[in-house]
Amino acid sequence: MPDWMINAPTPFNSVLVANRGEIAVRILKAAKESGLKGIAIYSDPDKNSLHVEIADDSVHLPGKSLSETYLNMELIISAAKESGAQAIHPGYGFLSERANFAKLVKDSGLIWIGPSSEAIETMGDKISARRRMIESNVPIIPGEELAIESGSNPLGVLATSAARVGYPLLVKASAGGGGKGMRAVHEPKMLRTEYEAAAREASAAFGDGTVYVERLLTGSRHVEIQVLCDQYGNSIHLNERDCSLQRRHQKVIEEAPSPAVTPEIRNNMGQAAIRAAKAVNYEGAGTVEFLLTSKGEFFFLEMNTRLQVEHPVTELITGIDLVQKQFEVAAGIPLNISQDEIGITGHSIEARIYAEDVSKGFLPAIGKLSMWRPPTTPGVRMDSGFREGDEVTIDFDPMLAKLIVHAPTREAALRRLDTALSEFVVLGVTTNVGFLREVSKSEAFSNGLVTTDYLDNISLEEFKEPEISDSILISIAAGASRFGLDRNLLSVNSEIIDEYSGHSGDPFKTLTRSYP
Amino acid sequence: MEWSIDNSGPRYTVNFSEKEGLLSLSKLISNGDEISFPEISLSKDQQSGRILVELDGVRSFAHVSRCDDEWWIHFQGRIYVTNMHEPGSKDSTLSEGSLSAPMPGTILDVMVKKGQRVREGQTLLVMEAMKMEHRIQAPRAGEVTEVYFQTGERVDMGANLVEISD
Repeated sequence: MPDWMINAPTPFNSVLVANRGEIAVRILKAAKESGLKGIAIYSDPDKNSLHVEIADDSVHLPGKSLSETYLNMELIISAAKESGAQAIHPGYGFLSERANFAKLVKDSGLIWIGPSSEAIETMGDKISARRRMIESNVPIIPGEELAIESGSNPLGVLATSAARVGYPLLVKASAGGGGKGMRAVHEPKMLRTEYEAAAREASAAFGDGTVYVERLLTGSRHVEIQVLCDQYGNSIHLNERDCSLQRRHQKVIEEAPSPAVTPEIRNNMGQAAIRAAKAVNYEGAGTVEFLLTSKGEFFFLEMNTRLQVEHPVTELITGIDLVQKQFEVAAGIPLNISQDEIGITGHSIEARIYAEDVSKGFLPAIGKLSMWRPPTTPGVRMDSGFREGDEVTIDFDPMLAKLIVHAPTREAALRRLDTALSEFVVLGVTTNVGFLREVSKSEAFSNGLVTTDYLDNISLEEFKEPEISDSILISIAAGASRFGLDRNLLSVNSEIIDEYSGHSGDPFKTLTRSYP
Repeated sequence: MEWSIDNSGPRYTVNFSEKEGLLSLSKLISNGDEISFPEISLSKDQQSGRILVELDGVRSFAHVSRCDDEWWIHFQGRIYVTNMHEPGSKDSTLSEGSLSAPMPGTILDVMVKKGQRVREGQTLLVMEAMKMEHRIQAPRAGEVTEVYFQTGERVDMGANLVEISD
């Protein structure tokens, strides 16, 4: 057992990560660093994935679909038992916000690294979350629940509520998240189409087609507060993250601190977030999302009762390792940090690198990562579940990596981001790297003026990459062909075997002579 | 060998002059015409998958990787795809009027029937891939002459979904 765990009320020495990809890698690395045994789970397509490679132990989940594997609660519990895991970390997505899974983990005698199932349930249902926020004096967006009986025609009720809330509005799945099951309606005649799409997406993704309507606050920013709570009622916030740069409600670039948040807003929003967390007796790391209007008013959007994709920007500006803190809270260790110890050091920006073709309407791209050389500049962190040679398939989410930069000022962080993106060599699969460069350099983003509807209301022509003469590209390709670069396929990522010394990486190469 | 960019546009043939491992572009031909080009020379680098490019006197590295007939290039911070073709080969393009699946996925809804007239931009099918809905819309007005899939069926990338004629 690691030293820091010895006096913990509920100590554990091993953790099973019920996830895959970059977040599983992130958590397994944290476990290793903290002296905990890290256990991975994997389905067939992940047999050779990075998260399995770096884990101390791994358990295979037979089955084809996600519901047979990464969403299979019983199977994951037995994997934990079989491998001797004492705790389960759910990561984000998959089972992380399933209240019944949190309960099942605890009922099986394992430690759940996350909040209680009651907290997940209350916050997971947007309607109950809204009610709880009203009770706790946390401002919410004007909106209405729909009393739709199953089997009845919902359109009458919907239209009446929609008229009361006013257009433009959002039809939102009560169980939704991540932009799924959420549709904007700008005029009454589109209500039916968008309602049906939202309900269908919600049913497919969450097994629950219940929706509600709320006012669409255009021209607002998405600002969220990271909270950290222990089992003894101590709660602090770790400042905000600004995730206003979104495309169809999917975050593209996140940063901390927010260019739009003053110390006063930060304090008020932070206190509201702590009230929200306390309202459900929250434990561990969680995120309270708000919409911040141009007038500086803010409204509760939802609480994510788990680690967030964009958590690294908070880690970089506060110096706090959120995953380590999650381990400590789950072991019953008190927080031991007070709010006034939380500062902001510099500025951090995260860009989500997706396998997608921006020019084809952001279609997911697939293929083999034939070359993968991440930037190695100081102040650059990359979280990824991929390596050179890995196959990108449609089996899973198309996010390849998160590139996170940290610098003394926002301007310096923007320059560092652009440099890091430009140095990232990823070949064989189409990515959004070039698009991210252009967006991060756009006037609106570099001046910190982006609102959540920015990317949806602008022509993508604005972010076209600079052109290069055909003759240059053709020469490079033809030259590479002549040099036989395609004949090194077996030795990708390794130095060419030196023909004199017979081994790679010969240190005397720099002397332009080699010694036997 | 012939070369093109993004599998579209003109085909090129390339001549280099070679001297002690240094390749210098000496001739670039497209459609029988000589194309002008900047001063560019290339040499092999120690690191695998990388070549040294000297363009108008400025040296920088290009990372290059071959995937089938595609040659992927990372150069001056940007990523490009070039294509290699057998001389005289035809482009592989889909037949006119057919609409293919932009990605693998499942058909959620078929909103048109055979024989129906559709207007440009009209939604023909709704597909689901990676848990998101994608609407397949008519690229132009016309008559639906064939619908190949039904609701619930899985489709591969590039599969023909619908035929539209004028």
